[in-house]
Amino acid sequence: MTVHASRADLEDRLRDIQVITDGALSRLDDHDLLAELLERTRAVLRADTAAVLLLDSSSGELIATAAAGLEEEVRQGVRVPVGQGFAGRIAAEQRPVILDHVDHDTVLNPILWAKGIRTLMGVPLIASGKVIGVLHVGSRTAREFTSEDVELLQLAADRAATAVQSLMAQGDRLAAAALQRSLLPSALPAADGAQLAVRYVPGEGTVGGDWYDVFTLPSGQLGVVIGGVTGSGLPAAVIMGRMRSALRAYALDTRDPAEVLRRLDRKMQHFEPGAVATVAYAVFDPGLDRVHICSAGHYPPVIAAAGRPAELADVPAGLLIGAARGARRRVATIDVSPGTLMCFYTDGLIERRGRPIDHGLGLLRRAVTAQPADVACAAVMAALVGSEPVRDDIAVLMFRRLPLGTR
Amino acid sequence: MPTEDCQVGWVGPHAVVAMPAEIDAVNAGKIRQGLLSAVGLGAAAVVIDMSGTTFCDSAGVQAIIDAYRQAAANGIELRLVATAVLRVLTLVGIGQLVPIYPALEAALAGTSTGQASTPDPGGGPGGTTVGGGPQAPAPPAGA
Repeated sequence: MTVHASRADLEDRLRDIQVITDGALSRLDDHDLLAELLERTRAVLRADTAAVLLLDSSSGELIATAAAGLEEEVRQGVRVPVGQGFAGRIAAEQRPVILDHVDHDTVLNPILWAKGIRTLMGVPLIASGKVIGVLHVGSRTAREFTSEDVELLQLAADRAATAVQSLMAQGDRLAAAALQRSLLPSALPAADGAQLAVRYVPGEGTVGGDWYDVFTLPSGQLGVVIGGVTGSGLPAAVIMGRMRSALRAYALDTRDPAEVLRRLDRKMQHFEPGAVATVAYAVFDPGLDRVHICSAGHYPPVIAAAGRPAELADVPAGLLIGAARGARRRVATIDVSPGTLMCFYTDGLIERRGRPIDHGLGLLRRAVTAQPADVACAAVMAALVGSEPVRDDIAVLMFRRLPLGTR
Repeated sequence: MPTEDCQVGWVGPHAVVAMPAEIDAVNAGKIRQGLLSAVGLGAAAVVIDMSGTTFCDSAGVQAIIDAYRQAAANGIELRLVATAVLRVLTLVGIGQLVPIYPALEAALAGTSTGQASTPDPGGGPGGTTVGGGPQAPAPPAGA
């Protein structure tokens, strides 16, 4: 600590702070902001290197993400376990650390010794009270970092933490949306005598864990799946993807929809403990004249036979996936006459705050009539969504058995 | 704005958790915490009172399932009271895990008469039954 700071020193210090807190930085996108911030931090502190490592919470490691004067850290994907080495210690202790002697004992990363770094100073990146990474600067010459240097570096770290959080949220959103797109088949399999139409709408700008799937089976049967993983964003979308492929695999192994869901439940409870999902799996016989449906906590489909009002299919309620072992799984077998329309949907379609679900189900029953699948899809979305923003994501899959004599 | 938190009260040896009017992703986290701490109070039974609840989405259902798991692991009995949300709870199969009563008095008495739903012993007629056993509710996940 400088005891008698001269006026010139104070002015220098103020200018340094301004360089780091400069409002112009906000006009850069988050990625450029991080790079520019590292350059400015390096210049202000007259350091040779500056680097940001971000915490990967699944592995408990810090991963080099951005650097100035130390680009090889990022290019080589340097990883440091929390609690070990210089950066690991900062993350574990959540406080600034200064190292006067960089050697094998104090620093894990060989790039730092190879670069001839003699002195290191680092601070934690903290967002919402949690460590999300580490920012450090290094000097090739021996020098003493002051408490004012630490304060400046912490200022830069706080700025970086904001940018990083925003980058991560954006990255998660993009990844989840890409995942959803890749997993939801836009081109549905052609099934003789069947007509299909689908909708997927993400809730409030973020995707969730809803999905639908349609596939033909070696037996000549047609499999239709609708489901939803509780939660939203990337974590829900990732679990959804795993459930979707597991269900497809079990569907090849056994023709009994209850057995498929029983195996899916067992797999989920073992490999994704804590995850909860609802699924309805329907298997149509090769002639499409009968369907076997098993539901794990999922709303039953709405069925409209030609010329008759729609009704909620009589499917036994089954425990949702991931809740408890050994749940009973029962199958309903329903006749499907030519021209019949079946609407499969997720809870986001009918659930709204401030309105009982029977009201939503009533709206849906009135909207579903035996008509072409794409027309029915549009009618249902108009009746239940209209122009209101929805909080939850919505998936709808419309199946129609074509009337005899049509193609 | 409806009450966001759940209130815990005692009726004899039973802890009663009064749930808010509406439960979704906005308040489900707090409710989950409230339920888990009620399960940890050492009551003979914990009654989740949803008689005043008119809306409960999948986030609320997950909070109840988490409470069920915790209760099962601690050997605590869980009971539910539901009217408006009975349909949702039945549909997702919660009735197979936790008995659902139409009124608080019935839940406190724990009597089977007048129950809206009971944990159903396995193997109902008229359907393919896979898994399960004669005892219900099913054992907790991870038991």
